[in-house]
Amino acid sequence: MSRVLGLIILLGLAGCETVQPWERGSLAQEEMQWQPDLLEARLRDQVHFSKEASSGGAGAAGGGCGCN
Amino acid sequence: MAGPTRERSATLLALTSSALMLPACQGARADAQPETTTLSLGYSKYREDDTRDSKTFGGSSERYDIDVAQFHLLAPVGEDWSLALDVQWEDMSGASPWFVGESASGDPKVIMSGASIEDTRTDISVTTRYYYDRGNAGFNYARSEEDDYESDAIAVDGSFNSADGLTTWSGAVSLSRDDIEPTRGTVPTNTLKDEKDIYSAWVGVSRIVSRRAILRFGLGYTYREGFLTDPYKLRDRRPRQRREWVASTGYRHFFTAPNAALHVDYRYFDDDWGVRSHTVDIAWHQNLGARTQLVPFARFYSQDAADFFANVVDLADRYHVDDYRLSAFGALSAGLRLRQDLGQWTLNVTAERYRSREHYGLYDGEESPALVAWWRGSVGLSYRFR
Repeated sequence: MSRVLGLIILLGLAGCETVQPWERGSLAQEEMQWQPDLLEARLRDQVHFSKEASSGGAGAAGGGCGCN
Repeated sequence: MAGPTRERSATLLALTSSALMLPACQGARADAQPETTTLSLGYSKYREDDTRDSKTFGGSSERYDIDVAQFHLLAPVGEDWSLALDVQWEDMSGASPWFVGESASGDPKVIMSGASIEDTRTDISVTTRYYYDRGNAGFNYARSEEDDYESDAIAVDGSFNSADGLTTWSGAVSLSRDDIEPTRGTVPTNTLKDEKDIYSAWVGVSRIVSRRAILRFGLGYTYREGFLTDPYKLRDRRPRQRREWVASTGYRHFFTAPNAALHVDYRYFDDDWGVRSHTVDIAWHQNLGARTQLVPFARFYSQDAADFFANVVDLADRYHVDDYRLSAFGALSAGLRLRQDLGQWTLNVTAERYRSREHYGLYDGEESPALVAWWRGSVGLSYRFR
């Protein structure tokens, strides 16, 4: 697993190009954000956390709940 | 001649200044202080399919039905701060799997908790954030209250942009103290009162890889300690510690011609209970004109079973659990979201379907008869003050 992740990181960074600030218009679009809709993201995280054995990935775990 | 040149210079200066702001905005728009106050309200209906008759011993096969209301307020404070308030209310009713037994033919079948469960949950979260030239730092306090569960959590996070604005480093830590006091109903519970603590840390890096693409990686570690057993399940005894590791990556790519953005996210999860999982999320954010956006999305999830999971457990084992959430299974979900801008208002409507089966997954194991399928519908309305 760590090898696969390492390879992905390497490929990702190898493909980097220098992008000037004035070339970043597309990147600033709302639909390019990591979480364009916070309410939606919170709800989905909680539903999946309640019904599956895995959680996390986008930040620290925070608090728990008795969700079944 | 001097007039137009000065005018062009001023225009160029304004454009350059705006463009120079972008590095701080990208990585996450939340990197920059919000310009205006935004208020959002949401309502969701979550409904699980009844457990199939062939999978139960009879009696109730009804599962959970949950109504969720959400409130979000984000406001700039002064020149360098913001304040966010999130409140979520949930009203749930229905039944959950109580234990799994073996039928005369040897098939595992589930017995539901029977009497209808009624519970409410209120989750309040407050975040203050400070913005500086090269990033931001936030402090969060969250409290969750249910009839039988209380949680208090604090978290600190921060992000830092490289000088060229191409790379953003992020980190977060959180601490949670949870109290469990199961409500006494028709079924016995595994404890009268207990506690658990959750310690978590996460680091991430995002990088602009082209004019239209950005990539990120994250690593997380979470340690849970205390009463991790499900208090309401008859045959459930879990270790009092759990160590979890998560590696994740995400990719966003903007396509100019179709005027759309592709989102791809992957997460690998591993813990010392023997659970491993892979999660892939894909979404296509299609702009239709300037005010409408349609987002089809899909998710694949696959997990291995915990070391101490069995459909029909041996109660003599130190740890044992027949909870379907710790079985080997795969899950597929797909949905569609519509976003419509209406001046200062934004309307979001989402529908999603989720199904789980053992053979959907990458790992072999006993299929739990209690695996869940659900529908979810959400509607949200945001107002941006000007």
